[in-house]
Amino acid sequence: MRLPDSIEKLRQRLFGDTVRTFAWTSLLLLILLAVAPAKHYFADWRVYQRGYQQLISKRSDAVTLRRHFEPGIQQIWLPEIGVVDRCTTCHTGLKEASLADVSKQPYRHHPDMPHKAEEFGCTVCHRGQGAATSVEDAHRATDAWDEPLLPAKYLESSCGQCHQQDLKGTPQLNLGRKMLTQYGCIHCHTVKRPDGTVVAATDDPPSLEHIADKTSREWIYAWLKDPQAYSTTATMPNFKLKDEDARDISAFLMASSTPGPDAGSKVVPAVLEQAKKLKGDATLQTKAASLYGQSFCASCHAVQNAAGNLVGGDIGPELTKVGSKVKPEWLQAWVRNPHQYDPGTAMPRYRFTEQEVGLLTGFLMNKADADLLANVHLDAATPEQIEHGKRLVSDSGCAACHEVNGVKRPENFAPELTKVGSKPVAQLAFAPGVKHTLYDYLDAKIKQPHAFGAGLKMPQYTFTATQVDALVNALLSHNERALAMPAAKTVPALPESHYEAAGSAGKLIRDLNCFSCHMINGRGGEMAPELTSEGSSVQRDWLAQFLRNPNTLRPALIRRMPKFNLTDAEINTLTDYIMTVYQSPKVDRDSMPLTGYPAGQVELGKQLYYSKYGCQGCHIIDTKQDKGYVGPSLTHVGSRLTAAWVYNWMKDPQALRAGTQEPKRDMSDDDARALTAYLMSLKGHDAMEAKK
Amino acid sequence: MSVRVSKYFDALTETRAWRSVFRGGSGSSTLHRSMAIQQNIFLHLLSTKVRKRMISLNTTWYLGTLTLGTFGILVITGILLMLYYHPSAPQAYADTKDLQFVVSSGQFLRNLHRWSAHAMVFLVFAHMFRVFYRGAYRAPREFNWVIGVVLLLLTLLLSYTGYLLPWDQLAYWAITVGSNIASAVPVVGDRVRFLMLGGHFVNANALLRFYVLHCMVLPIAALFFVAIHFWRIRKDGGLYAHQKDAASVSNCDSGRPQL
Repeated sequence: MRLPDSIEKLRQRLFGDTVRTFAWTSLLLLILLAVAPAKHYFADWRVYQRGYQQLISKRSDAVTLRRHFEPGIQQIWLPEIGVVDRCTTCHTGLKEASLADVSKQPYRHHPDMPHKAEEFGCTVCHRGQGAATSVEDAHRATDAWDEPLLPAKYLESSCGQCHQQDLKGTPQLNLGRKMLTQYGCIHCHTVKRPDGTVVAATDDPPSLEHIADKTSREWIYAWLKDPQAYSTTATMPNFKLKDEDARDISAFLMASSTPGPDAGSKVVPAVLEQAKKLKGDATLQTKAASLYGQSFCASCHAVQNAAGNLVGGDIGPELTKVGSKVKPEWLQAWVRNPHQYDPGTAMPRYRFTEQEVGLLTGFLMNKADADLLANVHLDAATPEQIEHGKRLVSDSGCAACHEVNGVKRPENFAPELTKVGSKPVAQLAFAPGVKHTLYDYLDAKIKQPHAFGAGLKMPQYTFTATQVDALVNALLSHNERALAMPAAKTVPALPESHYEAAGSAGKLIRDLNCFSCHMINGRGGEMAPELTSEGSSVQRDWLAQFLRNPNTLRPALIRRMPKFNLTDAEINTLTDYIMTVYQSPKVDRDSMPLTGYPAGQVELGKQLYYSKYGCQGCHIIDTKQDKGYVGPSLTHVGSRLTAAWVYNWMKDPQALRAGTQEPKRDMSDDDARALTAYLMSLKGHDAMEAKK
Repeated sequence: MSVRVSKYFDALTETRAWRSVFRGGSGSSTLHRSMAIQQNIFLHLLSTKVRKRMISLNTTWYLGTLTLGTFGILVITGILLMLYYHPSAPQAYADTKDLQFVVSSGQFLRNLHRWSAHAMVFLVFAHMFRVFYRGAYRAPREFNWVIGVVLLLLTLLLSYTGYLLPWDQLAYWAITVGSNIASAVPVVGDRVRFLMLGGHFVNANALLRFYVLHCMVLPIAALFFVAIHFWRIRKDGGLYAHQKDAASVSNCDSGRPQL
């Protein structure tokens, strides 16, 4: 064999004769091949397992730990949920409670977890690449793997893959889900749960069909430019409209508005007159303010106080600057009967006198901010502007939330988000400066949607950092894994209740919007007590009295129930209905008498109350001595609750009202009966007076 | 030392067992030496007699032999990889991951297969350039050049079909693009694409089809054509030497068919 001369010379200089050349090149090849077994020996997981053995060898419980330790690649294999997790290969001390003092990863002990790793694996919650046995591949995103480990702040999203109901341990996820339904996200984006049900909106964006009745074009313009300038709690996002776009949209909305069903007909000049008088009359103002307070408007509506803090509930809109928004003619009609303008409103119809309507209208019209509309000067709209405004309304998707005359509600206006939590990073268009992970993308998209391109329609929300994190959590929980999860492993969402009360009482319940605050048969709000079993628990007389003049039952809570000024006939209808229909199958109201318990039993009950069971820790009977502020006051309990309810409550409170704080004491039948006898003897001062 | 070794070797070749396997017999006569080539199924494809100069590096740079070498590595590593691989979606991807993360030296095996495949494509091209620019394709070797072109196509097809098997995004989209190119053929394009993929999209059918092509059809076809290729080297007058050295070339190159 002859090589080119130069190479031949080099070969001779390096190796000498042919045999040596062969020997040396063979040796070189062998060394090169040795790279493979070397990489094998120094693989990450072997290094960590050797490290673990070293770590435990110095400990006092080395024998036990060594017995638990299994060398070699470990894996949790759960084919039905697509899990091949080899994390425990390196995370060897995961289940060793005695390693609580070790803070070095990967040997740390896993904190208490609600599920067994053997049943769910690791990546179902933490993400990352379960099959990998090297640090980089297992934890981080690589060219061949999209899903890096989830940061701790997004971990709750994983609970949401299976748990469609709120959990105690996942406040962020719960908040995020609530925001998803509350801030209008799902008016544009469809989101389906794994069981196929569509997540429904809980907000109620107002119809704009009769907007001209309600407010002025100037206010619409100011609101469109910056909704949060009018009310910091406004859920409407900022669309970052140009001046002329806001001008044209407001022109179109005013032009397209038709007179509402109550326009004009219900305007009472005397009421308006009284409202106007309020401005210069301090006495009337005080009267109006106390009416506002007595009607418990603040249970639902917030108003900014002098210190700038919002005071009041969040069921209705904030009223700080309402006088700059609404027209007095509209407001007086609304206060008289809100259902006429908006049949779906959550606001109850109070039975105000015309004088009270006038007082409240004037009181609210005084809540104005002169600066709000000071700089808004709009010329009369031209037909071109109105036409342009209509195009903008339809292009910006306004009709996805609001009813607008002449513009149809768009279907699938924005991308569906059912699988957004597992969207491949390769399919995302990132804004400059955003890290290339799914959660960073979602975070940035919510925080600054306009950074992703000028033509995008997603509006700007004003969320706090916590709120954004919560929303990202909720979005991440909607992913492919959640959809593929076997039904046996999931907790489906509670079915949405469309319960309606029947008959004339039902009409009354709708008129008063009881569901805005009270939950009945799965439908309704959570602000006030659930009423599903109210008929079994309370006495009829007390209920009628309460509806006539509501008062708080719990000393630690402020009263929220408004006085609706119901007529006796209305109270009768409502009371009859509640006492007949809202009964618990677990309690027979008439199985125990309300009075007539032997004095001995009552005395025994009193002793049990104060000594054996220590009820005074939470409840008040003797207003001078007892200091219990947790549970309801029991001074009148004998004239409020039924004996059967009290007895069953003593035996098992959670069975009657799931989630109540009242502890289950496992008391004997005799004890329960004695306590019932004692409590039923507490008729309260008023009742005693009546007896005399 | 070498004398003593060769003495033992000579004794070995005289044994009956040896003789029953190697029919050519031993001996250093020209007849024996040519018999040793002719009587061996693998060697008889090659020229019985080759000039020493023809097998020097300068003549061919061994490009054809190196190609055969990479092919050999690919067959061996390929068979080992087949032990761990299921051609089914999505198991194929998980198996690829397992090779990387759990199989002892699995990553080494995969890399060896992959780099050898790249090397083979490179070597095939280098071989063909060398043959082309040296004019070795001319009579009487025209047909062997054609065989060579077929082998080039087979190599490229092996490389292409192997690309899909890891079943990752890169593979998926590469094959999607590749099959779309095929559909650009006039008239029959879409049918060709359907035939390739066993459907309208890259899916489990396509994976199975590419697996069968990659591990069975194409390698067997390649072996078949390699055999013809080597056999034709012998029949077309042995390895080609450049025209510049024509004077020193044996009359084998005269263009007459050889036995």
